[in-house]
Amino acid sequence: MGGISFLSPLFLIGAIAAAVPILLHLFHRKTEVVIDFPAVSLLKRAPVQQHRRRRLRELLLLALRVGALLLLALSFARPYLAGAAATSSMPLTVITVDTSMSMSAPGQMDRARDAASRAAAAAPSSHALALIGFGDTAAVIVEPTTDRSAIASAITQLNASASGTRFRTALARASEIIGTREGSVVVVTDLQQAGWEANDDGGLPDGINVEVISVPPPTGNLAVTSAERRDRRIVASIQNYANSEVTAPVRLFAAGKEIAKVDVTMAARGAADAELIGSLPAGGDAEVRVDDVSGYQPDNSRKVLLDPAPSVPIAIVVADPTGSTGGLYVERALKVAGNGREFSVDVRDGREVAKWTGAELSKIAAMFVLGTRTLDRNGREVIRNYLTRGGQVFVAAGPDVDPGTLADVLGTKLPFEGDPIRTAGATMIARDGRHPIFRPFLSPSGALGDVQVEQHRRLKDPADHTVLARFSGGDAALTEQAAGEGRLIVFTSDLDNAWSRFPLNPAFVPFAIETARYLTRSQSLARRSPEVAKAAESNPAATTVEEFTNAIERTTRAGVTEAQNAAREIEDRQRWWQIGLVIMLVALAGEALVGRRAT
Amino acid sequence: MSGPARYLDPAIIARLGTIDLKARTIVEGFLTGLHRSPYKGFSVEFAEYRQYIPGDDLATLDWKVFARSDKHFVKKYEEETNLTCHMMLDVSGSMGYGSGDITKLQYASYLTGALAYLMHRQRDSFGLIAFDDSIAALLPASARSGHLRTLLLALERIEIGARTNVAKPLHDLAAAVRKRGMVVLISDLLDDPANVLEGLKHFRYRGTDVIVFHILDPYELKFPFEQAARFRDMETAEEVAAVPGSIRQDYIDRMQERIAFFRRELGLVGIDYCQLETSQPLELGLMSYLMTRRRVL
Repeated sequence: MGGISFLSPLFLIGAIAAAVPILLHLFHRKTEVVIDFPAVSLLKRAPVQQHRRRRLRELLLLALRVGALLLLALSFARPYLAGAAATSSMPLTVITVDTSMSMSAPGQMDRARDAASRAAAAAPSSHALALIGFGDTAAVIVEPTTDRSAIASAITQLNASASGTRFRTALARASEIIGTREGSVVVVTDLQQAGWEANDDGGLPDGINVEVISVPPPTGNLAVTSAERRDRRIVASIQNYANSEVTAPVRLFAAGKEIAKVDVTMAARGAADAELIGSLPAGGDAEVRVDDVSGYQPDNSRKVLLDPAPSVPIAIVVADPTGSTGGLYVERALKVAGNGREFSVDVRDGREVAKWTGAELSKIAAMFVLGTRTLDRNGREVIRNYLTRGGQVFVAAGPDVDPGTLADVLGTKLPFEGDPIRTAGATMIARDGRHPIFRPFLSPSGALGDVQVEQHRRLKDPADHTVLARFSGGDAALTEQAAGEGRLIVFTSDLDNAWSRFPLNPAFVPFAIETARYLTRSQSLARRSPEVAKAAESNPAATTVEEFTNAIERTTRAGVTEAQNAAREIEDRQRWWQIGLVIMLVALAGEALVGRRAT
Repeated sequence: MSGPARYLDPAIIARLGTIDLKARTIVEGFLTGLHRSPYKGFSVEFAEYRQYIPGDDLATLDWKVFARSDKHFVKKYEEETNLTCHMMLDVSGSMGYGSGDITKLQYASYLTGALAYLMHRQRDSFGLIAFDDSIAALLPASARSGHLRTLLLALERIEIGARTNVAKPLHDLAAAVRKRGMVVLISDLLDDPANVLEGLKHFRYRGTDVIVFHILDPYELKFPFEQAARFRDMETAEEVAAVPGSIRQDYIDRMQERIAFFRRELGLVGIDYCQLETSQPLELGLMSYLMTRRRVL
């Protein structure tokens, strides 16, 4: 359910002015005058209908005047459709439930769900409710709503995942939802110590109450922290997080069968290796499991790839591979990923693109287009078909890319404005540091802000793409959009050291690798071992409620600022205020027209 | 000014004299002996002497003056009039309307009084019939010396009546009048125009001269109202809700159409028509009367 919010709600006070014409109408509405007149017989053609028509006209005039004033106030208040279910002014209670791996001990999520349900029931009736589930990321499961049954239903669906814990991320998300209104946050969590990541940002503005409901962690936990193949053996490291010695069986499974088992004894809060020898298959994977009934479940097993993972094929299309803008930097950056085994890179001359066969194309996980000048018609068609049929394409709109032919290449028109723009060292700013491409830059040492760009193309901000990063002047630097069944990421400068020195910056290699990983994520996931939780997540050590509360960074609406920025962006895209002003002008024109006829 | 003298407002009479010198001569001709009558030579009433000019009719020489003064003088005579005039004054409810200081009935009464004064001066017989939908007051025509005062007193006592019905008194009077004379109708004519016309024609068929004074208030002509209102008929109490701005032109057109109708139709049957606004001087009415009277005589 959507709702209208206002960027500058104080201007709504101006709507009081709409009362002026109403009051004038009421005060000036005289009691109907009766005039004695001798020649009334000559007035008989002046029917009462005229009188009624005039009353209708007066009401229409009143409506137009009131409407114009209301629209003026509304337009200045900058309305936008926020997508929130509850009204933006309604007090809000946000229930955030920890769904990280550390909540996966038997019975833990049941207790968490019960606590969340009780918190929802205890929330003031004047409050709207929202539900957030958080681990590494915080997802709004139920937008602010007054429908408490929806909240209750969603709570019953909550389950622990294999992700880590990031309290600040959850608090920041809650703060965004609350915005400027009155609100409180209920955190249902095991208070895991590892949940306070130093690199995370996020807190709660002053004035927002926090209620912490603790779901106690298990007293101990066993975790398979590593496993690797050593010839015909599998060596796994088992960590004991209990305060007492533990002996537990460790098993090795392959092809669905247990092929080895060994009992391992671990000292209190200590680790031990388990050496598993069995008949391993030639390929596929094997799984090491430790029996841990009372601890966290996802960390009780770990998969081991028995054959090396194949590298992910990536193509780089350039205008001239022998020239200075031949994709050298991107190629070198991608080739160092995963100790040189993660990607196989094919740099392809634009003139040779048309020679790709369908089978070859289907194997390309992602394509970097750095030059289009030498692409012939068939080459353009090949890339277009690749993209629209589900391909992943990255375009660096540098000097070798002709915006005019790019639409033909991509099958979608990118709204570039005019010639490239020269800027004296514009820096790049990520809009959301949590985006997978920018995760390496979260720490200050990996600051993307050191990247300086001298020239870039200006890309308008239509609604069909997401801006991932901007240059310091405000222009889009990196955008992402869907194109047919595929995905298109556009960098508005170049990656060949022509318009910027980005390729020489330390941030370039991680940027290129993470971009490639992001584009090829689906294939990579299929070929990699399953995601395993962070080791720290397996540690059930917890803080106290007081420690947790004290750790919350209190801001002066810093979180709100982010929410306001997001709101401003939404409002910028929607621009309802312009529509409001146009309608107001139409209303005024109508008022003038009707008013002239009335006199 | 109060009492009967109100209808003899000296200012009206004085202004009548100053506006049109000839008219004053007709009113007071033989009393002053200073001015010439347009009907000289045809009246038994002595008007003035004038020195003989060769070519004058010898029959007009005053031989007695010649005997006394040995000079030739010609006797001039004002025409002797002997007109019977019936003044019909509409006192219906609609005549009570007045947008300014004076209602239509007041204006009509002043006009009636002034006309009576003139008639009295000329020794015409005059009478008064006040009517609404029937005859409210009747004063038979007479030329007696006290008749003027009687008529003025009658005017003083007149009150606003009910609905207008011009045709009925006209027919009644036409049937009653035997001697050829003159009828003066003073009314706002807010009646069925066809009926009014029929009534007036009745007089003409009997050889009676008729002059119609159509009395209208300026607001009836211009309809200058602004605010939406319910307009209530002063005779029938019928109400019409209207917005003046939206109906003004239509009303004015209808009013002008009615005026044009009377002017045209009455003219065709030889009836003089004079439309008077209550804001206009009464002299216009008196002059119209005098012009008609001259035509009659």
